[in-house]
Amino acid sequence: MTKKQLPLDELSGAIGRILGLLLTEEKVDQAVQNLSQAIKESVPGTIGAGVSILDSQARRTSTGSTDSIVEQADHLQYELGQGPCLTAWASEETVLLDDVRTDPRWPEWSAAVTALPIRSVVSAPLMANGHSIGAIKIYASEPSVFDAAAVSLMELYASPAATLLAHIQSAETPKRISEGLQTALHSRDLVNRACGILMERHKITHERALQQLILQARNKSQSLQEVSAELVAGIPADRN
Amino acid sequence: MGFDNNEPEQRRRLHAALSGAGITTGTLWLQYFSIGGSVGEYEVEAYLQGMLSLPELERDLLAMAANELSNSGPGPHAPYSDEFPLDAPGETDSPDDGPASP
Repeated sequence: MTKKQLPLDELSGAIGRILGLLLTEEKVDQAVQNLSQAIKESVPGTIGAGVSILDSQARRTSTGSTDSIVEQADHLQYELGQGPCLTAWASEETVLLDDVRTDPRWPEWSAAVTALPIRSVVSAPLMANGHSIGAIKIYASEPSVFDAAAVSLMELYASPAATLLAHIQSAETPKRISEGLQTALHSRDLVNRACGILMERHKITHERALQQLILQARNKSQSLQEVSAELVAGIPADRN
Repeated sequence: MGFDNNEPEQRRRLHAALSGAGITTGTLWLQYFSIGGSVGEYEVEAYLQGMLSLPELERDLLAMAANELSNSGPGPHAPYSDEFPLDAPGETDSPDDGPASP
């Protein structure tokens, strides 16, 4: 097996992926919160707006909403597994709901939200790189508040918002993982320096040196890092 | 493609150690990388699934990484290549399990 020198980028990506941190909630959550507010203020008649980012199993990874009514209506959708936003996300098409009480498409959800001041809904999918990553939605307390113009406006919003959100997700990854990466690289560096000392001292290959370190660690019941650190510490810095 | 004589058994017992201690492949790889391992995460995954052969040193580093992670755990230990009888020409599926593990 040849030795590979992984570039830092690739390494960061790999570690981020394995630690499951590609979605970093903190800042994405801030972004979806701001986005919700902006949408609410820009579509006439809207009483509440929300943004959800979903993973491939339709689980919410980040959400933002302007008020608790949106939150409740949203929560019910994911609990019941049906609703306009889930449809928008899954079908990758914008959903216009004229009146919650007469639309037959999501019977359980419609029944569940009758207590909430929600009659009209528009939900548009967030499409980034050809994938649906979530949905944005607006609610109004009266029926037939939204029309084709509101649908266009939502679609206009959805496109840059999706691109932006996808970017935030990937841009935040290296920062979140840098600590774990530093620890890993520091340890690896230590082991390699110890190998170098053994190679020089015994005129052996890198591979052989690493094998010796493993053996020492096992014999002393220490970690490879501890054995390496002792070896490195035993060599005064000024004596090559 | 060739596996070393003891490779399947070493892999199987690494697997047992990992599941015994609840260690994921990602965690194992990061530790393995930290102590000087040189193959990628995908290769490690493939090795664990028996689809790829790894050199002895890399296998031992994986065992070491697993043992360091499960430190003081009660689960099975991941064996090193010198814990197997040298050069046993016998087959990979000889069922005798237990030699040489202190």
